[in-house]
Amino acid sequence: RTATRPPAWSITRLLPRPDHAFRSHAMSSLMSAQQAVKARNGQFALPIHSSEGSAGIAASFEHGAQAAGGGVHGHAPHADHIDHGVTQAPYERRFSPYEFNGGTTLAISGEDYAVVAADTRLSSGYEILSRDVTKLHALTDKCVLGSAGCKTDIDQLRSVLDIKMKVYEHNHRKSMSTPSAAQMLGNTLYNKRFFPYYSFNVLAGIDSDGKGAVYSYDAIGSFERTPFSASGSGQSFLIPLMDNVISHKNRNDDKRDLPSEEVVEIVKDAFVTAGERDIYTGDAVEIMVITKDGIKTETFKLKKD
Amino acid sequence: RMSILEYNGAAIIAMAGKDCVAIAADTRLGVQAQTVACDFRKVFKMNDRLFVGLGGLATDVQTVDQLLKFRQNLYELREERQMSPKVFSNVLSNILYEKRFGPYFIEPIVAGLDENNKPFLSGMDLIGAPVYTDDFVVTGTATGNMYGMCETLYKPDMEPEELFETLSQALLASVDRDALSGWGAVVHIITKDGVTSRELKARQD
Repeated sequence: RTATRPPAWSITRLLPRPDHAFRSHAMSSLMSAQQAVKARNGQFALPIHSSEGSAGIAASFEHGAQAAGGGVHGHAPHADHIDHGVTQAPYERRFSPYEFNGGTTLAISGEDYAVVAADTRLSSGYEILSRDVTKLHALTDKCVLGSAGCKTDIDQLRSVLDIKMKVYEHNHRKSMSTPSAAQMLGNTLYNKRFFPYYSFNVLAGIDSDGKGAVYSYDAIGSFERTPFSASGSGQSFLIPLMDNVISHKNRNDDKRDLPSEEVVEIVKDAFVTAGERDIYTGDAVEIMVITKDGIKTETFKLKKD
Repeated sequence: RMSILEYNGAAIIAMAGKDCVAIAADTRLGVQAQTVACDFRKVFKMNDRLFVGLGGLATDVQTVDQLLKFRQNLYELREERQMSPKVFSNVLSNILYEKRFGPYFIEPIVAGLDENNKPFLSGMDLIGAPVYTDDFVVTGTATGNMYGMCETLYKPDMEPEELFETLSQALLASVDRDALSGWGAVVHIITKDGVTSRELKARQD
């Protein structure tokens, strides 16, 4: 065995050897783009990475020489003509099945109530599609699901949950309890582990003991019961505030149980803040208070900018 | 790999009150996930009425602090007077823009009292674009958290004691939800009568 040959277990034997005839898959599009530009213009284009993808700005080092013998090549490319990669060096833009439609949701649990709130703005990129779309969905009369993320995935998730709830009611002759609904939502999300619902959920309701319950989720179904939960584009503005005001962290005064009216006022303040600093949050916030007697809804207007 | 501005971690807030300003920062120095020091200063006193908070890459934090001290000394020698916060902010902006195509990886905030003891606040991006506010400025790795806290807790014309409480709560709640900042905090309250500096008892994780 010669010194230059790598041992049998070495991972380098699995990688393609550098060889101009064979390009590794990842590099091929960039290199072929560069080759294409070079072949056509006879000059090298410096790749520039911009929000439109990679573009090439022709850097003409031999522009003088090029112009002299220009007749043969056809017209000499202008040094200031920016090709966005569509004619000279075509590249493929991947289709993304996901889109972020914005919004923020917040849920807080109390002694015998749960409050869940979400803004009503639907956006796509920098555009507002609607100022009046609800992100809250009552699964039972004791349990409300709030979701932010991709609207189509959220709608589909709700339809699927509604169907499963209905089947449960037919089979068990009672409506689903909040902890069971929480588990079902977690399972439903995990079922699509490898092509997830782009939906960031909070579930709020009254549990079987009559106490307020809030569950937080990630997009693939990991969940836990928490005192409060915020999700969506404005979550980082709201979560530390909730830590301080609801969970009473870093405070020296005594913690006290907050009545639902006070929590609703806190929620309004929180959404005003999120509306100020997050472009996807605003227009109005829908607040639902869930008690053993049912669900009360309130709409509070926010800035429309 | 994360952004170069998130390599060391920082959280700095400055707030304006009634004839006073306060500036607070965490004291963590990390190398990505590993914490390396819990007593790293990111807020520097330029004079009794002017503080600058530098968040970002730690080496640039220290270098820019030295550069600022140097420029301030030259100014005071030539002009025979103290640099006002507005001028200082401009000098800092200039230093950063000089390095436009190879910048210092810091996003600073300036807090001070001007000649009439009125609060002055400014924040900047890494190439020196300034923003002047009359309420608060934030910088670091937990800006989302800090904006949420400040926007909710802030009210205008707070007295120094209330400003201290508000700023401390805002900073503590914000860093407790950020892995890269925390491990202690320092708050400086600046009034025309002097500076009060306090260390906050914070979660050491």
